[in-house]
Amino acid sequence: MSSSVNTGWFWRLKGKKLHIYRLKRSGAGSIRANGSLTSGGDELVYPDETIPNGIRLEYTAYIEPFVDTDPSVLASDSSETSWSNASLTEVTSPDESSHVNLNRMLSLAVVSYVKAMLAEMGGEVQSKEYYMREFFKKVSDNESNKRMQSITYPVSPFAVR
Amino acid sequence: MTVLEIMERAGADSTNLTVAWIKDAVNMIQSNTKHDLKVKKMALTKNTRDYDLPSDLMSIDSVSLLDTQDDNKYKIISRMVSTPIVSEDTNP
Repeated sequence: MSSSVNTGWFWRLKGKKLHIYRLKRSGAGSIRANGSLTSGGDELVYPDETIPNGIRLEYTAYIEPFVDTDPSVLASDSSETSWSNASLTEVTSPDESSHVNLNRMLSLAVVSYVKAMLAEMGGEVQSKEYYMREFFKKVSDNESNKRMQSITYPVSPFAVR
Repeated sequence: MTVLEIMERAGADSTNLTVAWIKDAVNMIQSNTKHDLKVKKMALTKNTRDYDLPSDLMSIDSVSLLDTQDDNKYKIISRMVSTPIVSEDTNP
């Protein structure tokens, strides 16, 4: 029976493998018959039990890049408390009518990316760099939109310095 | 936004190439941010240290283990800081 897993288990990555260890606490040291003291160090051991679906991995992946409907539009929006998101179905063979499964800001970032690739194809390296900066700026704008942080500065008591 | 709208805004005329670039851009967004997360579960096996990662993995957000003594909740476990000295155990 696994218990206190958040303090007694650890993971690490090794190539394409996930390694799982359990911390086995051996307690305090003890005194041997000859009077010497054993060290009571903790040790890492392999998992000592089998648990079906015991490991849960949350990760980013290439998930449904193209869908059949606009992902940034609500399916229904009748009142403040009644709304539903659009039901998205993945499009495996995308064409010009397929929607990119991104919100408006990230779709604009994708436009910058496509412009950068077009500039690169045309040998315009400076334009490519400019559009790649625009791409990353929009991606980071999208990330910062999710966070609520504020920066405050002390107001100077003197109008003229 | 549709593929056609992206093509018109960017001034691209090849659909296949634009779709390929959009895939690259989505890939880049997913590897730099946590825009969309996926969850996979697998069995923890006694005396087994190594577990296969999903082949579509880009970056790990969290690893959790099932705490069977706390109402079967998955709890996030920490990443190891140090490297263990045993590289292979032939008699686990």
